[in-house]
Amino acid sequence: MTALIAVLLLLAAGIWFGATADAVAEAAVAGHPVRAALTSPFRRAALMLSRQAIATEHPDRLNRLLAPACYLVLAAAGLSVIPFAPGMAVTDIATGLVLWGACEALVVVVVFLNGWSANAPLPLIGGYRYVAIGLPAMLISMFVLIGAALPAQSLGVGAVVESQRVLINAVRQPLGLPLFLLLGLSITLRGPFDYGDSADLAGGTHAEASGAHRLLWRAAKLAMLTAFSAMAATVFLGGYLGTVLPGPAWLVLKTALVMLVLVAITHLVARVPPARMLTWLWTVLLPLSFVDLVWAGLEAMR
Amino acid sequence: MTLSDIAFWLFSAGAVWTAWRVFRTDSMVRASFALMLSFFCVAAILLLLSAPYLGIATIFMMAVEMMVMALFMVMFMMNPAGLNPMMMVHQHKVSIGAGVAAFAGLGAAALLTDLPHHAVAAGKPVIRDLGTELLGGSMLIFETAGITLLATMVATVVLSSRSGRFGAADEGSRPPGLEPGGKPAGRAPERDSDHSHHAEHGG
Repeated sequence: MTALIAVLLLLAAGIWFGATADAVAEAAVAGHPVRAALTSPFRRAALMLSRQAIATEHPDRLNRLLAPACYLVLAAAGLSVIPFAPGMAVTDIATGLVLWGACEALVVVVVFLNGWSANAPLPLIGGYRYVAIGLPAMLISMFVLIGAALPAQSLGVGAVVESQRVLINAVRQPLGLPLFLLLGLSITLRGPFDYGDSADLAGGTHAEASGAHRLLWRAAKLAMLTAFSAMAATVFLGGYLGTVLPGPAWLVLKTALVMLVLVAITHLVARVPPARMLTWLWTVLLPLSFVDLVWAGLEAMR
Repeated sequence: MTLSDIAFWLFSAGAVWTAWRVFRTDSMVRASFALMLSFFCVAAILLLLSAPYLGIATIFMMAVEMMVMALFMVMFMMNPAGLNPMMMVHQHKVSIGAGVAAFAGLGAAALLTDLPHHAVAAGKPVIRDLGTELLGGSMLIFETAGITLLATMVATVVLSSRSGRFGAADEGSRPPGLEPGGKPAGRAPERDSDHSHHAEHGG
């Protein structure tokens, strides 16, 4: 029960923190006053809520309604396997990493359906483009996560944290965290991996969304950012492990750190054309994830 | 009737209903994701059977597979959005025959096999046992099946991508006219040595 409340609190706080960090980073990069950016997420949210909902011609109403809600649910489901302290997780199943993998895979489906269901050109292009980039990015993360599970000899997230008491996985498997961060950019539709919701498609999969629908989609993206950051902090940075402070505080601090890194990448790194990104993914990054897996295996046998 | 019995019947009904929807919908994308939901119900039943890895891995694999399937079907069927209504069932007699034969075969296999009916002991390392099985005694079977499936997929794409809807893809194909005997719709294929194609573009 405590873990469930912790998950909901972390999600709510993460949405606020992510939105604020995004606004501040945007203002800093653009040279605008940063102080005004601190409150702008609330203003923007209120503005979105007050706008009328627009309807496209012959949309798939069911999927259009379900997509943002499912995105939000996937973020919560991903967080449910993360321990805030030893044994303090909503569900400490032995297949936690596989559950997280299923959430990643379903994000691709949900983003595609969000673009597809509008029955409009730009969201549809965003949806297809996202699938092409999102699936290989997810493959990479799978190999990286298997690498992280090797020293723990378990697919349970709690066991992965406990295996990092001596050395955190970010140091033990140096390729793991950077490759995993790419997935984070991809499943939260951010910066160099934002092929679904990008500005060159006027907002991509949510180009035709307005009002509460748009607000919910944005919030769900930030919720997924929180869930991903907590997962990265748990699997690669030791999660709740740390001295002096209590476990949950360490987890929140590490989560915030990963979020800030992702927000910085979002606003500082440019997006390359999808075709070039696809080539990089299959010819450079995927082989790198194999190297990471071999590295993890050799290290675990040592 | 225990709670897991009720859950079993609910998920079974869900699996059958969503599978039926696959054939009643008029869109390839909807059909793909209805099939995905059907598999999710089966995955939930696997979870009820104390097969946590298989259950969650089924959800994971089916999400990816159905996404890829939707993408490839739309790509090859030239129905750009998948939202255009189209007939999803064809070759009625053959498919009814195949369906009945498959149902009878699988049903007989399920009824005639001596399946274990004792509950899985709590604390049994089911995931470890599964791993030992997959990478031990049954490794050759699974690896052979994996390679065969991969080769089949690559071959299918190679074979089906050549024949475009309006002729061989590597020769350049032309769609039919928008009205009978009218000008071809869409772009004319590129022909470097032929200068008359400027006239075809005209209008």
